[in-house]
Amino acid sequence: MVNLTIDDKQVTAPKTATIYEAAKLNGVNIPILCHDKKLKPFGACRMCLVEVEQMKGRQIPACTTPVTEGMIIRTSTPDIIKARKMVLELLLLNHPLDCPVCDKAGDCDLQNLTYEYKVDSNRFADEKFHHQIDYNNPLIERDMNRCVLCGKCARICDEIVGFGALTFINRGIETKIGCEFEEGLNCEFCGSCISVCPVGSLLARPFKFKARFWSLTKQKSVCGYCGTGCNLTLGVKDNKVLTTLYDENQGFHNGQLCVRGRFGYQFINSDQRLTSPLIRTNGRLMECTWEEALTAVASRLTGGNSVAALATPRLTNEELFLFKKMMLDNVGSSNFDHSAGYAHAALTEGFSRSLGASASPATILDVQKTDLLLVVKTDSYETHPVIGFEINMGVKNKGIKLNIISDKRGKLSKLPGANTLVHSPGSEVAVLNAIAKSILDQKLTDGSASSIPGYAELEKALAAFTPEAVAASSGISADSIKKIAKDYASAEKALILFPVGQSYPGHNQEMASAVANLVILTGKIGKEGCGVLCMSEKSNSQGAVDMGFYAQNGGMNSLQILDACKNGTVKTLFIVGENPVVSYPNGANVKAALDAVDFLVVTELFMTDTAAMADVVLPACSFAEKEGTFTSTDRRVQYVKPAIRKDVKCKTDFEILSALITKLGGQAPSSPASVFAEIAANTSGYAGMSYINLQNNGAFAPVNVTPKLVASKAAPAVSAESGKLAMVTGSTLYHSGTLSQFGEGPMHVCPEAYVEMSRNDAARYKITEKDLVTVSSSTGSIKLKAKVTPRMPEGVVYIPYHFSETPVNAIWNGSAVTVVSIAK
Amino acid sequence: MNPITPIINGLSITLKHLFMKPVTLQYPDERPKVAARFRGLHALNVSHNKAKCVACYLCPTVCPAKCITVEAGEDDNHDKFAAKYEIDMLRCIFCGYCVEACPVDAIRMTGEFELANYHRKDFIYNKERLLEKK
Ligand code: SF4
Ligand code: SF4
Ligand code: SF4
Ligand code: SF4
Ligand code: SF4
Ligand code: FES
Repeated sequence: MVNLTIDDKQVTAPKTATIYEAAKLNGVNIPILCHDKKLKPFGACRMCLVEVEQMKGRQIPACTTPVTEGMIIRTSTPDIIKARKMVLELLLLNHPLDCPVCDKAGDCDLQNLTYEYKVDSNRFADEKFHHQIDYNNPLIERDMNRCVLCGKCARICDEIVGFGALTFINRGIETKIGCEFEEGLNCEFCGSCISVCPVGSLLARPFKFKARFWSLTKQKSVCGYCGTGCNLTLGVKDNKVLTTLYDENQGFHNGQLCVRGRFGYQFINSDQRLTSPLIRTNGRLMECTWEEALTAVASRLTGGNSVAALATPRLTNEELFLFKKMMLDNVGSSNFDHSAGYAHAALTEGFSRSLGASASPATILDVQKTDLLLVVKTDSYETHPVIGFEINMGVKNKGIKLNIISDKRGKLSKLPGANTLVHSPGSEVAVLNAIAKSILDQKLTDGSASSIPGYAELEKALAAFTPEAVAASSGISADSIKKIAKDYASAEKALILFPVGQSYPGHNQEMASAVANLVILTGKIGKEGCGVLCMSEKSNSQGAVDMGFYAQNGGMNSLQILDACKNGTVKTLFIVGENPVVSYPNGANVKAALDAVDFLVVTELFMTDTAAMADVVLPACSFAEKEGTFTSTDRRVQYVKPAIRKDVKCKTDFEILSALITKLGGQAPSSPASVFAEIAANTSGYAGMSYINLQNNGAFAPVNVTPKLVASKAAPAVSAESGKLAMVTGSTLYHSGTLSQFGEGPMHVCPEAYVEMSRNDAARYKITEKDLVTVSSSTGSIKLKAKVTPRMPEGVVYIPYHFSETPVNAIWNGSAVTVVSIAK
Repeated sequence: MNPITPIINGLSITLKHLFMKPVTLQYPDERPKVAARFRGLHALNVSHNKAKCVACYLCPTVCPAKCITVEAGEDDNHDKFAAKYEIDMLRCIFCGYCVEACPVDAIRMTGEFELANYHRKDFIYNKERLLEKK
């Protein structure tokens, strides 16, 4: 701490603070235009000038100058005010005064400062800029005539997003912000640049002219897409969510969002939303009343285990808890599951047996606190982009060492110093085991490791996984495996990340145990910046596990339920929000099962392929219309409240389930709050949480670990037949599950599935970018556009799984690697 | 006092007024002369064959009666224009704040005061009805 004087007030500030930060800490406001707390100091605008007595009264920028002991600072002398006015005059010289038609008005730093400093005339005269405005981009409109050259957009895109799409072009008065070769923007569309632009140079096109900033109601919420659990502010007007707004103080991520969170909100007010219950009469789905629909459903929810349920992990904890309770107590069936079963196996089976808890011991906050990151699959960036930002920042600013083992390269491999080991598809568990083996061989284990149960068995089981043996099957050299083992074990703090989800069947209990073994063997657990984070797929995937909404005590899992539908053991299937026809493996099998089941109920927002097959369809509500809690991948329990009123004809899943419980003769709970009280009392880690407190701040549910070493079985390597390719599926950056297909933003940038392949394979099959190719496997074939990229290894193709039009499950039966052939 | 005097006085006043210029306006046969600053029905100013309004939403923001509805649209040149501009005259208090707020001089108040009508819906003036008649 240093002592200094700001505006005649004696204050203290941390040694590392700048004058601006010190002033802010002590309640003195210094105006800024080019500074952002998330970015490195830049000093481009000179709005923050202050006088420091020791510097002979010279005016210096507060945002870049560190404080020193005894500094005497004045922030608003007449001279400074004059200087700031001059800065504004010079900016306004070229800035078009089109506030009436600029969407930024009302939230514009330049406008606010001009008003505050009463700059109502200009002593200078000059021409305005005549830059071409980019109206063509579907998501980001760029009007460089309004730019004040603060550089925030270029800096955030580089420093945090790590994409580097924008940069300064030209010099002097000609300087402007643009893309390479003055081309259009073709980036991740995370919208971070829009969020920090102090003026209206970068604007969200989907929101163009929709409403004024001041007429929006700002509703805080939690993103309903992936498990990162980012906090959002929704801009609401006339009961419609019109945009997402930036709040730099929100969440661990300081308001940063990915393309889905920022631009994928349109599904909430989509006119394709279902608005009436539907019941199948004479083979067609016809509108009916809620009473009719619910009575029909309740009458079929009898017969104990012949009823089964699948739910989406996008329901709230309260809904999942209630659903489970209904199934067990009122229906009398233990057949319920979510996410195709295997997508949560890493937690429910893997971590349960290895760590004694079905949750990750590390949190997202540990990413920045660690010394070394071991990431399984470069897809981690695409599945959880905002965690990806944390990795970017950690690696770039803190020098965290990044090691990746993956079946393809990706954005993360481009980070400075990133060490990417590309292995043959499907051999990740073998590689992890080889790392464990190498740790044992190099005697790098933690002192306590040998006393942990299972050590001897593991040692025996790992004998088959010598780096040399795995090198032969995985294509990674034995030396690199040994080096990663050494680096990982000898790092003081190290963290392992791996994504799970419906498109990653190989990321199952075996991978979880293999990863847990590494963590336990090296003692990297229970300390800050250490451990493992299993990145769960959807907004409440971790919650669904915590609520116990999966096959337990003899209940059938998702895939068994579908089989049971086919063979007639399950007669009623109740699907809440899942879209198995598109997102579960082996689409034909899923369709056959849904066809065969006697009675199919689907609760949905949209007429999905699954809902279209139902006997009763119930219109439900999105996350923006309901109340409850979501648990993020690192067990942050966060409250969501209704941002808009729901359509009168729709019911939340909570209301639907409550109504059914009443019809089944049970006692429905009074509100989500009362259910949460029950959850807090019954769920490990949730004890002591209060619904009221969560409304202000999320809370972490602690994870208690009892380590055990469990040998994990590695899937045999897939031998590539000649003339065939290995297909892996996965989650693409712009989408999450199948819901994002109803968000216009994601669909603008990534409207359809594609098959991504290496340049060599493309050349071999004489395929060029965007060619329509037929991909066939033993189960079927689909036609997709080709995407040729340098990141794919030869012999491997990648197809994302989200799309109803061309579902990958036509050729994918749920194995981690599928052998396919390709023809033009 | 002579009881007749007041009657005479009264009648003389009546007589005087018979020859004075009448104050009563024989509306609707006679039309009032409306002052330039009168705040009557609004008109949207036109320039280059287009309404000048750029749909900045300042008038609906300032309007104390909250009777203006604006919806912006994007025209072929990507410019902002009022796709919808409506004033509910039943709620308008003719304060003129909207005129004062407009940054582009797109709205004024005319001398038009004959706003009576039979149906509530007829008091909603849409953009078509508000455009100035030349
Ligand atoms: S949207 Fe994101 S990736 Fe694209 S330019 Fe802006 S900050 Fe960079
Ligand atoms: S576009 Fe916006 S954020 Fe980027 S330099 Fe210009 S004013 Fe700053
Ligand atoms: S999709 Fe995931 S990473 Fe993106 S904003 Fe939502 S929660 Fe955050
Ligand atoms: S005159 Fe006053 S009340 Fe009437 S529309 Fe204008 S601002 Fe509103
Ligand atoms: S203030 Fe003027 S320009 Fe703005 S919406 Fe009203 S009439 Fe149109
Ligand atoms: S805010 Fe300090 S120079 Fe711009």
